[in-house]
Amino acid sequence: MPFREINSKMVEATVVPGQRMFSQRGAMLAYRGDVTFTPNIAGGQGGVMSMIGRRVAGEATPLMTVEGNGTVMFGHGGHHIQVIGLTGDTLYVEADRLLAFDGTLEQGTMFMGSQGGVMGMVRGQVTGQGLFTTTLKGHGAVAVMAHGGVVELPITPGRPVHVDPQAYVAHHGDVRNKLSTALGWRDMVGRGSGEAFQLELSGSGAVYVQASEEKL
Amino acid sequence: MPTLLSLYPGPQYLLRVATFRLQGSKVLAVSMTGDSVKAKNGSMVAYDGQMAFKKMSGGGEGLRGMVTRRLTGEQMEVMEVRGQGTCWFADRASEINLVSLHGEKLWVEASNLLCTDAGLRTGTTFTGMRGGATGNGLFTTTVEGTGQAAIMSDGPAVVLRVTPQYPLQVDPGAYIAHQGNLQQHFQSGVTFRTLMGEGGGEAFQIRFEGDGLVYVQPSERNTIGGDL
Amino acid sequence: MSTPVIHDPTTLPSDDNVNPYTFCVELKGSQWFLQKGKMIAYYGRIEFNGIGHGRLDRLVRTSFHSPLHASDWVVAEGSGKMLLADRAFDVNSFDLDQGNLTIRSGNLLAYEPTLALKQSIVPGFVTLIGTGKFVAASNGPVVFMEPPMRVDPQALVGWADCPSPCHHYDHGYMTGVMGGVRALTGIGGTSGEEHQFEFVGAGTVLLQSTELLMADRAIGGPPAQAGVPGGHGAHGSGQSVPGSVPRLPGQLGDLQRRFGL
Repeated sequence: MPFREINSKMVEATVVPGQRMFSQRGAMLAYRGDVTFTPNIAGGQGGVMSMIGRRVAGEATPLMTVEGNGTVMFGHGGHHIQVIGLTGDTLYVEADRLLAFDGTLEQGTMFMGSQGGVMGMVRGQVTGQGLFTTTLKGHGAVAVMAHGGVVELPITPGRPVHVDPQAYVAHHGDVRNKLSTALGWRDMVGRGSGEAFQLELSGSGAVYVQASEEKL
Repeated sequence: MPTLLSLYPGPQYLLRVATFRLQGSKVLAVSMTGDSVKAKNGSMVAYDGQMAFKKMSGGGEGLRGMVTRRLTGEQMEVMEVRGQGTCWFADRASEINLVSLHGEKLWVEASNLLCTDAGLRTGTTFTGMRGGATGNGLFTTTVEGTGQAAIMSDGPAVVLRVTPQYPLQVDPGAYIAHQGNLQQHFQSGVTFRTLMGEGGGEAFQIRFEGDGLVYVQPSERNTIGGDL
Repeated sequence: MSTPVIHDPTTLPSDDNVNPYTFCVELKGSQWFLQKGKMIAYYGRIEFNGIGHGRLDRLVRTSFHSPLHASDWVVAEGSGKMLLADRAFDVNSFDLDQGNLTIRSGNLLAYEPTLALKQSIVPGFVTLIGTGKFVAASNGPVVFMEPPMRVDPQALVGWADCPSPCHHYDHGYMTGVMGGVRALTGIGGTSGEEHQFEFVGAGTVLLQSTELLMADRAIGGPPAQAGVPGGHGAHGSGQSVPGSVPRLPGQLGDLQRRFGL
C-alpha cells in the first residue's frame, strides 16, 4: 500500500525506483528525495496514459507521472481524501476526482453510454465528463478526492441505491448504473438543469458518496 | 436540552417517526417507515428503498414562513420526503448537528436548517433589526414540537450555555441557532481606531441574556458590521 | 452518536482548543493580539481596540512591528473567555520558548503580547519572536516536517528555526527547450510542480494539507527601497489568477500577488 494517510486531507506516497505513480497535476504538496514530475502529454507517453490523455480532449484532468526515489505528499484544494484499495476488482471513478494512484493499476475508460443508452449520454452531460468514466483495475491503491469526505453505501441485490449525480464519487463491484428521472425529482433537486436526474446503481458492490452536492 | 433519540417516549412512537443518524459528521442518514421528513431542497445525496419527493409550496401551515422567506431574498426551499428506506442528506460539506426537541422551541438561521421530522412544525419569526446591519437574521426560522431536527454549521458547532450570571456575546456571522428563554440584544460599541485610519466604524454583536443555549459555528458568514 | 457538549465559562478550556476548529482564550486582565474577524463569541468583559488606539501605544511598540498589517489587528483586553475561529479551518496553538517562527500572515489568528510580531523578508510572511503562545489556522491539520525538503509554495504554512527557504526550479524545466516553451505558452501542459520552496538546515517546516490558499487581506507592499524583496510597487500586475498561469523563472509564483497588487 503506497499511500499513508497523514490526515483527512493529505496522503504520503513512497516512490521507489522502477515503480511509477500517477497523480493529478499540481497535487504535490511537498517531497523529499529525488523525485521527478512529468506532465503526460497525449500521445507522448505510450499505452494507457495516452488513452486518458486523449479521452478528455480539453485536458480536463491533467495527470503527471511521478518517478524517482523518495516520499511525496499529496493533497488538493482542501478536499478530503479517501484511499481505496483494490484487490483485483475494478473501480469506476470520475477522472477529475483522482488525486493519485499506483502505476501498476490498469487504466481504462468505460463508455457509459453503452450501459445507459440514451440516458448514458445524458449522464455525460450531467457529470461533465463526456461519455467516459475512468476505470482502474488490478492490485493497488487509489487516492480519490471528495468534497467533505465520503460515505460508503453498500449495494446489494434487490436493494439498489439512488445517488445524486453531483454527489457521486466512485463505485466498485458488479454494479449496473442507469440514469433515470424520479417522480418529482426535477423539482426537488433542480439546482442546475442537469440535476433532474438520478443515478441508480444496482447489483452488488459499493458506491462512494460525498457529503456535498458540489462537484469538484 | 439537545439530547438524542434514546430519550424518545415510547416504541410505538418510534415506529412512525423517522430515525435520524449521523454517518460521519457531515452526512445525515434518515430511516423512514412510511412517514415523512422535511428537508432543505437539493440536500438529498442518496437513498435506497422507495422515496417520493414533493416540493413544498405555499399555503401549508407553518410552511408559509418558508415561503415568506423567499421574499426576503433568502433561497430557502423545502421538500417533503416520504417513503420506506434510508435517505442520506448532506449540504456543501457542512457539519450536521442533531437537536432533539421536547415541546420547546428552537430558533435557527434558515440557511442552517437541514431536516426536521414530522413531529416538528416550522415557522418564521421576525427577530428585529439585527439584520439591518448584517444582512442576515432579519427573519429566523422557528422549529417547535417534539422530534428531531438537524441543523448545519460550517465546522462543528459549539454549544454555549447562557445563564443570568453569564451573558454571552456572539458574532452575528457565527450565530446559527439558539433555544431556551433568551433575550437577544443587538449590541454595537466596539470601536476600531487604527494606525492606517482604516477599519474605523463599529462591529456589531448579539448579546444573549437569560437562560438557554446558543449554537455558534467556527466560521463567519460575511457580515458588514461584524468585523471582529 | 455523541451528545453535544454544552459549554459554559467554567467548562470552557483556558487557552486551549474547544474542538479542532475553535480555540478558547482566557483573559484575566491581560491582553491578546487578535486578527480582526476571528472572534466568534465571548463571555465576560472584554474590550476590543484597534492597533492604533492611543492607549495601546506602548504595547504596540514592544509587540507589533508590522505596519502593513496594522489595520487587520485588534487588541483584546479584559477578563473572560473568548472563542476564536477562522472559516472552519483547523486551529492550533503553538508555544514558543525563546524561539522564532515565521508564518504566512493570513494563517496567524492571535498571539500573546509577550511575543513580538515582525514582517518577514519573505513577502506575505510574518515572524514571531520571543516566548509565548500564538494561535494559527491551517487548511487541514498542520504537518510538521524536517528539512531537507521541497514544498509547494501554497502548502507552506511557515517554518521555525531553519533559514529562510530558497526557490527551487525543476532542472528539466529550466534547461529544456520544451519546458521553456511549455511554461511560456502552456502548450503541452506543465506538471505544475516546476517550482518549490527548498528548505535546508536544521529546523521545522510547517505544512498545510492542501493547495487551497487561504484568502487573506491585501496587506500592501513593503517599503519601495533598494534591497527590500518585493519592494517594487505595482509591477507585474498581469498575473491576477495565481496558479492558472504557468510560473516563469524569476517570478515568485503565488507570492507575487502580495507584491502590492
